Amino acid sequence: MSAAVSAIREPLITGGKTYHDITEDICAPTERTPSRAWIIAFIFAVSALAFYAFCVTWTVWVGIGSWNLNRTINWGWDITNFVWWVGIGHAGTLISAILLLFRQRWRTGVNRAAEAMTIFAVMCAGQFPLIHMGRLWLGFFIFPYPNTRGPLWVNFNSPLLWDVFAISTYFTVSLLFWYTGLVPDFATVRDRAKGWRKKMYNFLSLGWTGSAKHWQRFESLSLVLAGLATPLVLSVHTIVSFDFATSVIPGWHTTIFPPYFVAGAIFSGFAMVQTLMVLTRKVLNLQDYITLEHIDYMNKIILVTGTIVGVAYLTELFIAWYSGYVYEQFAFYNRVMGPYFWAYIGMMSCNVLSPQLFWSRKLRRNIWLTFLMSIFVNIGMWFERFVIIVSTLARDYLPSSWSYYSASWVEVGLFIGTLGLFFTFYLLFTRVAPVVAVAEVKSILKLAGDQYAGKEHTGKHPESADAHSHGGH
Amino acid sequence: MNQFTLQSRQRTFLIGFMLLGLLCMVITYLTDDALHTRFWTNYLHNTVFFLGIGFISLFILAAFTTSWAGWYVGMKRVWESFSLFLIPGLVLMVPIILGLWGHFHHLYHWADKAEVAKDVILTGKSGFLNPVWYTFGTLILVGAWIFFALKIRQLSVLEDTQGKGVADDFSIHRWIRFWSAVFLPIAGFSSAALIWQWLMSVDSHWYSTMFAWYTGASWFVSAMALTILLLVYLKGQGYFVHITTNHFHDLGKFLFAFSVFWTYLWFSQFMLIWYANIGEETIYFHERMTNYPALFYGNLILNFVLPFLVLMRNDSKRKTGIMVTGAVITFLGHWLDFFLMVKPGARHTAMEALASHGGHGEGAASHALSVAAGFSYPGLLELGTMLGFLAFFLYFVMTRLEKASLLPYNDPYLQETTHHAVWPYAEHE
Amino acid sequence: MKTTHKEVLFGLYDDESVLLHAVHKAKHDHLEIMDVFTPFPVHGMEEALHLSESRLHIAGFIYGAIGALTGFMAMTWIFTRDWPIIFGGKPYWSVPAFIPITFEMTVLFASVGMVVTFFTVSGMGFGVTNPTLDDRITDDKFCIAFDVSQSEEEEVERLKGFFRESGASEVSTKTI
Repeated sequence: MSAAVSAIREPLITGGKTYHDITEDICAPTERTPSRAWIIAFIFAVSALAFYAFCVTWTVWVGIGSWNLNRTINWGWDITNFVWWVGIGHAGTLISAILLLFRQRWRTGVNRAAEAMTIFAVMCAGQFPLIHMGRLWLGFFIFPYPNTRGPLWVNFNSPLLWDVFAISTYFTVSLLFWYTGLVPDFATVRDRAKGWRKKMYNFLSLGWTGSAKHWQRFESLSLVLAGLATPLVLSVHTIVSFDFATSVIPGWHTTIFPPYFVAGAIFSGFAMVQTLMVLTRKVLNLQDYITLEHIDYMNKIILVTGTIVGVAYLTELFIAWYSGYVYEQFAFYNRVMGPYFWAYIGMMSCNVLSPQLFWSRKLRRNIWLTFLMSIFVNIGMWFERFVIIVSTLARDYLPSSWSYYSASWVEVGLFIGTLGLFFTFYLLFTRVAPVVAVAEVKSILKLAGDQYAGKEHTGKHPESADAHSHGGH
Repeated sequence: MNQFTLQSRQRTFLIGFMLLGLLCMVITYLTDDALHTRFWTNYLHNTVFFLGIGFISLFILAAFTTSWAGWYVGMKRVWESFSLFLIPGLVLMVPIILGLWGHFHHLYHWADKAEVAKDVILTGKSGFLNPVWYTFGTLILVGAWIFFALKIRQLSVLEDTQGKGVADDFSIHRWIRFWSAVFLPIAGFSSAALIWQWLMSVDSHWYSTMFAWYTGASWFVSAMALTILLLVYLKGQGYFVHITTNHFHDLGKFLFAFSVFWTYLWFSQFMLIWYANIGEETIYFHERMTNYPALFYGNLILNFVLPFLVLMRNDSKRKTGIMVTGAVITFLGHWLDFFLMVKPGARHTAMEALASHGGHGEGAASHALSVAAGFSYPGLLELGTMLGFLAFFLYFVMTRLEKASLLPYNDPYLQETTHHAVWPYAEHE
Repeated sequence: MKTTHKEVLFGLYDDESVLLHAVHKAKHDHLEIMDVFTPFPVHGMEEALHLSESRLHIAGFIYGAIGALTGFMAMTWIFTRDWPIIFGGKPYWSVPAFIPITFEMTVLFASVGMVVTFFTVSGMGFGVTNPTLDDRITDDKFCIAFDVSQSEEEEVERLKGFFRESGASEVSTKTI
């Protein structure tokens, strides 16, 4: 990392923190009893989770008939939710891997929580392919093992099986990446703790000491994992898009799907990160580490990816017309003007139009608007998947089988239930682990702390510059 | 040396190659079929290729500026100069546009009114695929890019003399960032429209939503490769002393990463079409795999396998020899990629036209085509033409480099770029 | 290593730049540093301590290659030898359709392998407790440690002098 920092860069850590302040501020939430806001939120989340368990049981007991799917529309809220959750699960790895490769220092403020969010979102996503099979107990059939009746295997040529590999690999790698990053911070908590907490964090920190050789390997590992996770994160939503795009269904079979799904995933992932960060920084008093600067950067990413998604929407519409293929043309006409036009309008207005507000710096730095927009984008991206799946299936090649679908209470309950699952885990996470990467924030303090960086300073801190000149000996 | 001067030796050398290119084009024209297919496809191929490098360089500049990158500013003059090639690029497009109106080339099937009339698909597309859109799309959109290129360049040069740094809160740099941010979405939408017209409509029945992004990635890698080659050369001449191994390391990372990204787009496009197996779409790859197998597989080897293996290690990105090898491979590879985008479709169109005009064409039947230099593989004339275009590009770029200091003195990130280090390597390694 | 106890003399510094100076000074004075402990990675430390480059990425490459081969060969064997089936009119050996799983296997093997290797060679794992010198090392102190188990008194004094001169804020000993 270069020690020279341009004076144009805004500080990323405010409040004139010392290393010890950073430790205190970030570890504090794990060391005190939960606040009332936390307890109330946790009760809501656990109730939703209980409702989830109920709806899953109902689905298994009554059967998949308790959903409103029909012969024409055989994927509905289930797969919509699946894709939505997987998409949300992209921001964490994007922040930790891609932004690490691009040396974006602001990632250190938000990467930990975003990675945790990723893991929980992928867990929620993984529920739906399993539940939608109906017979949950036969879920292990999706894994490749030779069938007991002979060497009959799963179909390795099916994108649905690629999904099994992609999602499970993604979950594993994200978990490893996240946990490896947590180890030094768990050691920090361990060295402050007493009694049973000391034992627990001693177990979790795997015997970390902070030795120079370990740090060197740790950084090397982080870089290579980032290099692996970057194509991985692209591959996951690419493969999810293959579920649709390998088919011959107009509106699904389009070659732009892979990169466009990835952009949409990053878009929705960042929206969810914003939702969580705006709340987390306030509740846990972390405004000095997750600053307005961070919010601003993330809103810019939302603007960029929202616009990329917009380019893709218009590309699809245009090429549908350009193709000269009547079914393709009808599929898109149906999306915009068909029975589900409201979903299309919701998608366009939430995903493409409203993020354009973020062209204004003032609005990007407005907390309330950021929060509102993050919810909008979450809704818009849910609509996008709903549009792709349901509005396409509702009008197939055979007009006599055209149909309309709206979800039953069980399907809605499953969706709300996974939100409960997600928030239960997230809330527990904020109690157990430092929600900001302590060691990483310390490592950028002298480059981005407000007593060192920003306009008021020459852009070159004497101490760090000094340290650097010795590094080259 | 922060002031570049083009020496007469270099000037002679470049002009020599430009003349060689011109000679090759004349020979191609004279020895061509009745429609001068080989000449016109070469012309379109190279024009779009180099024009695109100019465009994507502007895009790179704009993207790096808006993302607050600091390491690259020591080489931003190179990309500024590349982006100004949009001006001669637009001029080079004029003969193609005129040809659409005057019918003196048969690059595009859709330009033939009689053909369109008896073809339902082409009639359906004629709202977009027509000379009017082509002409005004090209003029207005490339014109807009030129506006941004000039604006950003002008502000950037102005900053050298007028920039006041912290004193006026980097106001000139903030204006550059403003124009860059405005350019990005415009570039996103407009490049797709032009790529469809210039390249995708060569195979005028075929369509792929991915195509524009795929082409953009190809330009990106070519621009990176050319940047590396030019910087290595100029550094050897004693310029760009502030560009160190660390900067090349980062350029190498971009070359590597975008080679992989290009492959990702290639695979996604190919695999989806192969998997769904819809005749209207597979024809594109079927044609290339049967009649142009060397190019088709060579494309993947040159643009994925070789750069992947050559550039994967950290140390190899810090060795000039290896980087030059990687850059030459990918530059030629992507030039071939564009060759493969243009030639088969245009050749098909020409053969149909020759057959229906009573010429000596092989007919439009989809039987195996004969192997022909300039179509099945680039012949010496193609190579000469490319060198001519490259020399023209470099000549233009170098004359632009002369116009400003190579190091932007008042750029806010100047300290960052001159003290750039890539972990775990030190600054001066 | 765990069975024999070590007598460790260590100094704590308040700032990483002072620490880096001290490490350079120690190398200059030919003092044999046992280890350096910091709360976060200090850049320039690798060179200062003359640490050899980590070879973790090489291991990662090998794991990845094994993963790619495993995935691709398994699918090849299953669909051409063990149970050949034609799906959608494609050949048995449908290479494009094998790419996604091959890629995922590559990443899975490389990542899991590297993380396991990292913790193993660094002597870490669940249930492992490695001795630490001071609780503040994971907070805001930067530590240089010398092994003085076999050192003479004057050697220890020399090291203490080094700590004084190089700006250590605290010096103490611990048996680990």
